[in-house]
Amino acid sequence: MDERDLINRVRAGDGIAERALYDAHVDRVYRLAYRLAGDDALAQDFTQETFIRAFEKLDTFRGDSALSTWLHTITTTVVLNGLRKVKRFHTREADLEMADGVGGGRREAEPDLKVRLQQAIDALPQGYRTVFVMHDIEGFTHEEIGVALGVETGTSKAQLSRARAKLRESLADFAGEWVT
Amino acid sequence: MMTGNDDTKFETWLQDAAKTYNEPPTGTVPREQIWARIETERARRRARPVIVLRPWLRWGLAAAAVLVLGIGIGRWTAHEQTGGAGAAIARADSAASSDLVYQIAATQYLSRTETFLAGFRADLRAGRTEARFPGQARDLLTTTRLLLDSPAADDPRMRALLEDLELVLVQISQLGTERDTRNTDLITQDMDQRNVLPKLRSAIPAGPVPVRTQGAT
Repeated sequence: MDERDLINRVRAGDGIAERALYDAHVDRVYRLAYRLAGDDALAQDFTQETFIRAFEKLDTFRGDSALSTWLHTITTTVVLNGLRKVKRFHTREADLEMADGVGGGRREAEPDLKVRLQQAIDALPQGYRTVFVMHDIEGFTHEEIGVALGVETGTSKAQLSRARAKLRESLADFAGEWVT
Repeated sequence: MMTGNDDTKFETWLQDAAKTYNEPPTGTVPREQIWARIETERARRRARPVIVLRPWLRWGLAAAAVLVLGIGIGRWTAHEQTGGAGAAIARADSAASSDLVYQIAATQYLSRTETFLAGFRADLRAGRTEARFPGQARDLLTTTRLLLDSPAADDPRMRALLEDLELVLVQISQLGTERDTRNTDLITQDMDQRNVLPKLRSAIPAGPVPVRTQGAT
């Protein structure tokens, strides 16, 4: 089904279309929420709220951008608001989570490096961290990030550059890893 | 000395290493679970008119007070003008007055918030963080949430602005009495990133604020 038809059907109150829209986008929304929140329960909460708001506000979607971009705008707003409110990301013990060995199996990065990297990314100012996660980890373009965060593309690029510079500084001990 | 080659190597390495950052659990997304929660929550929100009435009650009282005032002023200033069309005009005026209440409240609130945030920011730049800010932010936060629940937030742009302001005010209200550079930096960064002050200023209509606000000094 064409996306525009799907949107029109959802606007008309078609429950099946709502579910189809949800199925088409839930994976990406949940994944982004999880990357930013670092917690399954929070990611589920944020995904839930994103779709509730999306269904409530779908009448205001003008189609200037892709529906996915519009949904990611809502996702980032919901996640960043939510994270500030619960302040979990300030108190979360990143190294404990790492010690749990979540997911198991072989990882590309060494444990010590992973912990340091996690801490370094967590310590980034929120704007930098969001752009870094969206661009370098989740593969969003600067244009998509600009729309989602309501900033200029140039701002997104500048924030990514500063995020990388800060990470490079924080991870200077591991310079051997990338120089070789 | 860093070279462009070093930068590229670092970026490639970083992107690879960062894949493990907050990595979602392997396996499928709990779609059914989340969908069930969405349906439950939407049903709950649809079925809670009584709860929603609580903030509305306050706004209703405020609207009634302003309407009484408006009618009084109207009668006082226009009692000499009579005619058959008067009743119809009065009905139209009554509906318009209801909207006007929210517009007045929103304008007053935006003006107060703009003054507050500009002062907050100026103090930060001057290296001061006054203890009064968290308390004032909490007061404004209460009004923000009332407005978010009012027809003033029906306008998507106003709602987005109110949500941005809610975020900033929440953060300021949580500042401690000690100077907290990290958190104040984050707050100002957020304000810049979301263009809060320019959006706020452009949302305030030109001209004087019509009525004095609650708690305004």
